[in-house]
Amino acid sequence: MTPPPDNGAYMIAAYAITGVILLVYGWSLWRRGAAAMKDDSAPH
Amino acid sequence: MSNLEQARALVKRGQVMTVIAVTAIALCAVRALLFTPVERFQGPAQKIFYLHVPAAWSAFLAFGLVGIVSGLYLWLNDRRLDLFAEASAETGTILTAIVLITGPIWGKPIWGAWWVWDARLTSTLFLFFIFIGYHSLRAAVHDPQDRARFSAVLGILGAMLIPFIHLTVYLFRTQHPMPVVARPEGPTLPGVMLLTLLLSVGAFTLLYLGWTTLRYGIGRVREAREELHDATA
Amino acid sequence: MIRLALTIATKDLRAELRSRTALVTALAFAALVLVLFEFARDPTRLTAALLAPSAVWITGTFAATLTLGRAFSTEQDHHAMDGLLLAPVPREAIFIGKWLGALAFALAIDVLIVPLAVLFFNLRMTAEALAGIALVLVLAKVGFTAVGTVFSALVAKLRSKELLLPLLVLPFLVPPLIGGVQATARLLDGQPLSDVSGWLRLLLAYDLVFVVGGLLVFPRLLDE
Repeated sequence: MTPPPDNGAYMIAAYAITGVILLVYGWSLWRRGAAAMKDDSAPH
Repeated sequence: MSNLEQARALVKRGQVMTVIAVTAIALCAVRALLFTPVERFQGPAQKIFYLHVPAAWSAFLAFGLVGIVSGLYLWLNDRRLDLFAEASAETGTILTAIVLITGPIWGKPIWGAWWVWDARLTSTLFLFFIFIGYHSLRAAVHDPQDRARFSAVLGILGAMLIPFIHLTVYLFRTQHPMPVVARPEGPTLPGVMLLTLLLSVGAFTLLYLGWTTLRYGIGRVREAREELHDATA
Repeated sequence: MIRLALTIATKDLRAELRSRTALVTALAFAALVLVLFEFARDPTRLTAALLAPSAVWITGTFAATLTLGRAFSTEQDHHAMDGLLLAPVPREAIFIGKWLGALAFALAIDVLIVPLAVLFFNLRMTAEALAGIALVLVLAKVGFTAVGTVFSALVAKLRSKELLLPLLVLPFLVPPLIGGVQATARLLDGQPLSDVSGWLRLLLAYDLVFVVGGLLVFPRLLDE
């Protein structure tokens, strides 16, 4: 029986790139969220 | 509860949901990579399926909600609907990008081509174009009321367009049979793979909800702060 | 209401025809683009007849897209929009009027392009094929100009409207384009109209959805 094709590199590339996107966007969102939670120091 | 407090509560909820979702995604990735069997004929590259499909589902969910919420905004005129659409469009764009990137990386080893113009991938590409148009439009309109109305028009018309694109490409392909893009999994997935897929879909859905809640909260905070600023100015 | 709409449409059309420059420029542009297709093909690999449907449709729709930007520019330039809105004209009538004007313009371009294509690409065109192609062109342009009118009004006030209008409108062009090219190619090939009924139905469905959709959302665009 022939073994499965040796294309793990594609799998790694896809997971890696997805991970990077999730990290970068997630961090951007998190940072903006933190800024939103900060109490305004400007007097009302 | 003031608007600002409400908005901050949303941000908090979004943050919590996102943390849970990210954990879920990480666990699903581990399950997919290490504890789900390798498909015999397609090899490890088949596992990209567990990213591509959940991301696609979430992207279309994001887009569908932009469409529905846009329609509601045009009807009800509630600013918060516009802010939600803005949030869903942003998170939807990221998810669509993931689909469009994992698509070719999956396609090359499995189908032999980096890109195929099948109905699903083509619809996703146009989803991306509409999202980009949505962001460009919002950036070009300065008056918030106009921005909300114009985006909503694009949102709802865009939502009406995508099914047509899907149908048109499908009709086109039934008339022009091309190298068959067989759904590599066939009609039935083995149980363990199906479970991995379903868990991944759940995780990505949670991610969409968490990100969008968070992004919506950020928009609401921005709005609430402007209100306060205007009130005291 | 229909009368109002037609009044608006004829007012616009008469203005364009009186000035003539806009129509002539658009026609000249379309003819030029069509010719470019001839020079953009490798004659040893692609016969003119094969390219013709694509050339006709791309030319026609690009030219129509560019002219869509003008639908509201007169009002914009002369601040006449307020006047139009103050008049007791239902906004739906404004939409229909503008849409019919844009449709007439787009079809005028096609009326030029199709004979030119027959000429430049040496097409064998029977009367039946021509009638069928005319039908397909009308069906496709109806929906496309409806969507185009909505977006033309949308971008009218924006600075980047020349770039933004094509970006927003072109995705909406894809279903009529695919249907149009497929039907045209078959009709040119000598197939009867009944063979392309599927595409005709698609075009009709698209028209219904986006004319009704346009009618529903357009009034909200004009809110202040």
